[in-house]
Order: sequence, then C-alpha cells, then structure tokens
Amino acid sequence: MTRALPMIEGGHVDVVCFEALSELTLAILQKDRLSNPDRGYTFDINIIARQILPKAFERKIPLITNGGGLNPLGAAAAVAQTASKLGLRGLRIAAVTGDDILEQLADLQRGGASFAHLETGEALPPTADLPIVTASVYLGAAPIVEALKAGADIIIAGRVADPCLYLAPLVAHYGWSWDDWDRLAAGIVAGHLLECTGQVVGGNSLALIDRVNPRDLPHLGYPIASVDPDGSFAIYGTPGLPSYVCAETVKEQLLYEVHDPAHYLTPDVSADFTTLRLDDDRGGCVRVSGVTGRPRPEQLKVNLGLLEGYMRELIFTIGWPEAWRKVEQLKTMIDETWHGLPIRRVEYRYLGINSLYGELAPLPDDPYEVIVRVVFTADDQDTLKTAVRRIMANGLSGPAGMSVSGTTVGAEPRAILGLWPALIDRSCVQPQVTVQEVE
Amino acid sequence: MARHLYDLAYGRAGDKGDIANISVIARSPEAYAALKAKLTAERVKAYLGDLALGEVTRYELDNIQALNFVLQRALDGGATRSLRIDGLGKSLAGALLSMLWDDDMSTTEQELAR
Repeated sequence: MTRALPMIEGGHVDVVCFEALSELTLAILQKDRLSNPDRGYTFDINIIARQILPKAFERKIPLITNGGGLNPLGAAAAVAQTASKLGLRGLRIAAVTGDDILEQLADLQRGGASFAHLETGEALPPTADLPIVTASVYLGAAPIVEALKAGADIIIAGRVADPCLYLAPLVAHYGWSWDDWDRLAAGIVAGHLLECTGQVVGGNSLALIDRVNPRDLPHLGYPIASVDPDGSFAIYGTPGLPSYVCAETVKEQLLYEVHDPAHYLTPDVSADFTTLRLDDDRGGCVRVSGVTGRPRPEQLKVNLGLLEGYMRELIFTIGWPEAWRKVEQLKTMIDETWHGLPIRRVEYRYLGINSLYGELAPLPDDPYEVIVRVVFTADDQDTLKTAVRRIMANGLSGPAGMSVSGTTVGAEPRAILGLWPALIDRSCVQPQVTVQEVE
Repeated sequence: MARHLYDLAYGRAGDKGDIANISVIARSPEAYAALKAKLTAERVKAYLGDLALGEVTRYELDNIQALNFVLQRALDGGATRSLRIDGLGKSLAGALLSMLWDDDMSTTEQELAR
C-alpha cells in the first residue's frame, strides 16, 4: 500500500487505484464480519486512511479502492474517524454499495433467478438449504464515476471488477460515453495491466529472470499509465524507483488470469486483446494502442461462496534409509489412527518432489529425505483437532527417525469455501453511492 | 540437443475458480511459428495429465506472438477449496514449459495415430 506514496508525493499521477480483493479475500472477510458486524473490509483501508490519504488529499489526488470488501459503509465510517482525527476537514468519502446481494438471494431465487453455475450449467438448489456465506456481484465503473463527479476524495467500493476501478477515472475525466467500446476497452486493458502492481514492473517475471536485480524486488516502483484521450496509453514504473517495464513484462501481465483474449468480459465492455499493439521504447516505457472493444455483456457476474468444511495440514520429515518404506508406514499409521473419525478427504504430497507438478515429477528411487505433507478435511473443526491430537499421541510409535513440523501442529483449521459463479440480470442490481464529508 | 519448451517461450499462470490459464509467449517469430504449428491444446492436455482434468482450450494472439491455454478443472476446486500447497496454481506455467521440445517433433495428430 505505502508503495503508492512515491507516485503521489512525486506528483506523477492524477488518481490512484488500489485493487484489494480476490475470490479468497471475500471469504476471509466474511469470517471477520460474522465475528464483528462493523468489520468485513480489508486491512488495507486502515493503511490507506492513515498513511496515504493525508498526502493524497493535500494534493487533490482521489483514491479509489475495492478494499471495502463486504462492508464499504463500515470502511467509510472507519476512514471518516481516522480522517477526523488527522484533521482532514472537508474530505469527501464515498462508499459504493449494492454488490452484496446475500440478503436478497432467496427473494431473487423465488422471483425466477436460476443462478445457474457458469461452468457446469447446474441450477442453484434452494438457497435455504445451502451454507452460502457471500454473494457478491461484480459491479462496473459507473458508481465510481458518479462518486468522482460528486467530488469524492476517496471512494471505497466492494466487489467492483478489478479493471473497472481504473476505467472509472478515465470515463469521469474524458467523458467517454458508455457505448464507446474501443475506448472503454482501452481503459480496461490499462486497468488490467496496473491492477497487480509489481507484476508488470518486474515482479513474478520469468522472462526477466536474468535481468531483475533481486534487491530491487521489494522496492519496485509501482506502475503508472498515462492515458491519451483516444485511449492509447503509455505504461511505466514510478519515476525514481527501480522498474523493469518492457514488452515482455507487459505480455506476461496482459494474459494473467485471462481466458478468451478476444473477449475479456467486464461489466462495462468486452475487451479484445488481439488487436492491440505494443511499442517498447527500451527505456522502461511501453505504449499500448489499437485496443478494440465490443458491447458489454447483457448480465452481470455474481460469485456465491459456500462454506464446505474445514482443512488442516501436517508436515512430516522422513530421512534415509528406507525413506519410501517409512512413508508407507506413516500413511498406514495415520489411516489406523483416524479409524472411525468423519474425515472427508486425505491428500499426500511430497514437498520438493511432487507437490507442484504431480505426475509430471518422477519420484527418486532412494531419497535422502522426503517431506510428507498430509492435508485432510472434515465438516467441522473439532474433528480436525481430534485428528491432530490422535496423531501426536502416536508420535513415539511412528516410523524410525520421523519428525513433524511444529508450526503445522499448532495451526488452526482453515475454512474451505466452494465458489458458485453465476449470472444475474442488471435490473436486479442497484449500485448506490453514499457520500459523507469530514467536518 | 534436447530442449524444453522454456527455451522457446516464457509464460505466466493465473487462476479463476477451478480454471487455470497459462500463457506461452514466444521468444522469437520462429519460435511462435513452431508453437502455433505444434503446441496444440491436445498436446498440452496430454502432457499436463492430472494437472488438467478438464478441457484445454487454446487461444492465439498473433499480435504479441503468444498462445493462451485455458485449463478446466485444473486447481483442485480452486484456491478457496484446493488442498494443494500451490492452490492458486502460480507454478503451473513452469509445468508446461518443462515439456521436452524437438524441432522435428511430429504433429500431435500423428502422435495420437501411433
């Protein structure tokens, strides 16, 4: 988060967007909200409010984030409190809501919405029978544009589609119309390239493995897009900080988390990545032009999160000699130990051998060490705790020379969330913008 | 000399639910021509084995000389459910790039016919 400060303090930008949500994040936030209804927003909000907002407000640089998670209004209240303490008088805080349809789900279903699974086509069973914990619609840029036009200095949304955060200020500034598909698509491509911060300036780059100085990685200058009225743009790292933007990093990020590159679907436009052109100036700046777009999809995407149970992992170390025989002893012992316990799934992988690439990775004949990771699931947390206790009680009766990683023994169970992606009619979703001013 | 796909291309993997995508970005125009001709969706699916349980679709980007492979049922249910240590499938590009590559390699159709 604070790595956004140099671009603000250096006067290099007109607006800063913080993309803060993943499919996993919303599920975690739901747990926070259950334990405290005032929470349910990302921790990033606090950092933005305390460390970034004062500098940005001073320079009239609006901040836009979807870090409001499941509770943008709660996040806005927290920001208002912090801003008030910091004396940021006149600061306008906007909250964007309407993405969270958990409460309306049953009514919508009764009203005829099928919520058919996007991948399997299966209709959603009656919601009352399902442990649904989140239901978030991917909103587009429009409510953020509205908030910007209302003079908001910080805009806190929930599940706004990642690249739409970045499209919004372009639409607000240039007045692009909502059917100017090519320009909207260009804004989406810019947002898509920026949203993963370090990933376009040299982070997570296989192409640049020989070029990137690893000492630079924690200091990479986060990316900036300078967008022209026609939608073409230049992308580069924050001036004065290390960055490695080049055609290779842009290509790597362009296809990150993309399916059909000719139809990159967002709530505002379907963007086509196959018509664009990259020009690398070999000086740390790449120009992107020629993006085209097609009309936005008729419906919006909604992601339902279902609580399916819990998981735990234990990591055992086994050394030479007879490592594979000891692994088999361990597996059999675990199987015996858990006899009668309602454990659902048990998975074994060998770290450093086949935990990433499965069957692609050949097993060594007579290894010096095998690190066994066993992951197991149950419907409830108590079963998992009992399972671990039973294993530990058998510790001294196990295979010769076996040990267990202590941190994995002490860990807490983790929730398993099933995701149910579906479509919903736009008419069922009413985004709202609430603006408050700090006095 | 035995080479890997990695010698011709680099790439990055990403996740959406239980679907993974792997970009394969050519290091040269010659490499792109070879990839386009020989790195079919069928070959990718066959190579990845239990890493891609569902359908594999290939998309072509001539403009940036890259292929994009979309793998259904590739993430053990997705990051929120997966029991894998790399639940997001961040490493999956490396799995594909480890494919041995022979410039004289027969086409997949011929391979399958054998």
